[in-house]
Amino acid sequence: MDDHLFHRRIVSGDELALGELYDHFSALLYGLALRVTRDRAAAEDITQEVFATFWERPLGFDPGRGSLRTWLATIAHRRAVDHVRSEERRRVGALGPRLFERPADLEEGVVAADEIVRVREAVRGLPDGLRQVIELAYYGGRTYREVAVEIGVPEGTAKSRLRLALRRLAETLNEGAL
Amino acid sequence: MSLDRLYLDLLDEAPIAPPSGGRAHLLTTAAGRRRPAASCVSWARPYAGRIAALDAVFASATAWDVPIVEGWNLQELLTHLMAKDGLLAAAVGAPVHGPPIAEDEAMARTRDLQHHERSRSLLETRQSWRDQADTLCHALSTADPTRMISPGGLPLPIGDQILGRALETWIHTHDTAVSEGLTLPHPVPDELHAMADLCARLLPLTAMLSGLHLGDRAIRLTLTGDGGGDWHIPLTLGHPGSVYEGQEVALSIRADAVEFCFVLGGRGADRTWEAEGDLALAADLRAAAPALSGP
Repeated sequence: MDDHLFHRRIVSGDELALGELYDHFSALLYGLALRVTRDRAAAEDITQEVFATFWERPLGFDPGRGSLRTWLATIAHRRAVDHVRSEERRRVGALGPRLFERPADLEEGVVAADEIVRVREAVRGLPDGLRQVIELAYYGGRTYREVAVEIGVPEGTAKSRLRLALRRLAETLNEGAL
Repeated sequence: MSLDRLYLDLLDEAPIAPPSGGRAHLLTTAAGRRRPAASCVSWARPYAGRIAALDAVFASATAWDVPIVEGWNLQELLTHLMAKDGLLAAAVGAPVHGPPIAEDEAMARTRDLQHHERSRSLLETRQSWRDQADTLCHALSTADPTRMISPGGLPLPIGDQILGRALETWIHTHDTAVSEGLTLPHPVPDELHAMADLCARLLPLTAMLSGLHLGDRAIRLTLTGDGGGDWHIPLTLGHPGSVYEGQEVALSIRADAVEFCFVLGGRGADRTWEAEGDLALAADLRAAAPALSGP
């Protein structure tokens, strides 16, 4: 996934690129919005709106400052939180398009506070060998290669342990999530 | 941040597909928010792409009354582009938007259209500019790209005329982005290459327009980065440049493809070219390069 090329294609008005982005990220954004809102219709609207906003004002994203995935997820998260906050109005349509999208704030993040607690707990509940690779790779920002060297296993082993750990965490997180 | 990445990776492990039909719905919504590039023949695509990119910059623009270039604000700049697009449209027999063309000259037409647009809103001007560009794109589907035409007095084949419009739109989109504090991404590599190729082939013309007498010599031009390439360019008019294939040359020039296009477009006066061989010739060509740029 070449963020720079996708950004260039979207700015150049290439609809095929927007379709490809939807195929690539819609499940991620929908899942994210659904976790926050617990409302399928709202999550669907938020997913649509995030892509439509990106299409309309693609210069709000700067590939030099972070990945497209994180940027889209940050906006989806922000909108999902907006939805929850305005839920008393009970009208998703009231969300409407934002006139000016604030640039994604690096401090803002994509994870709701209660989800942070759950992720950290789930990581703590992993067996030692799996917890170690997650901590090194994500909290410590190491590459596969560096993780492998640090724990003294071949790179392929580090990679498969990481996959296994992610799958375990995802299962834990999904229990009773929706 | 590290937790964000972990969280997104976890969501990717257990993706939840949104209901079907979302993709088609999105494409319909998106087209209503910002027009996609006009569908057109492949040789006109760089132009359609730059038009869509300027529309994207417009969508994020906020300082509508600030002078961007030539003392023109966004409305006057769009009108200038529309004026020149309209002259090309007239030359290929496509419909011309706005009042009829009184004089086939860029600045005269610009002044007429600016006078006409002054009483209209910026959004109306944006729509007219975009309509003119898309009309031109569609009309080119039946045009012969090798046919010579001279809108505004510059004789070039239709294929090069439209690349010239792409280049000018790109340059002014860049001007607008800079004025707005926005970062404009480069065109996609194929479209950038087509514009770089035009600039490479225009080099002998810019030299001639600047009064250089170059004799029967040729240069090698290597443009680096996305959209780049390697050209053999005879400096005599009527001998079009082509792919470099190891020929003897008086001079080799090396430059970044984007910067080279901007120099031809009259931007980046401080940019120098790496040269090997006849350095005096290199300096002359560099000084002459912006000869075709104008407002």
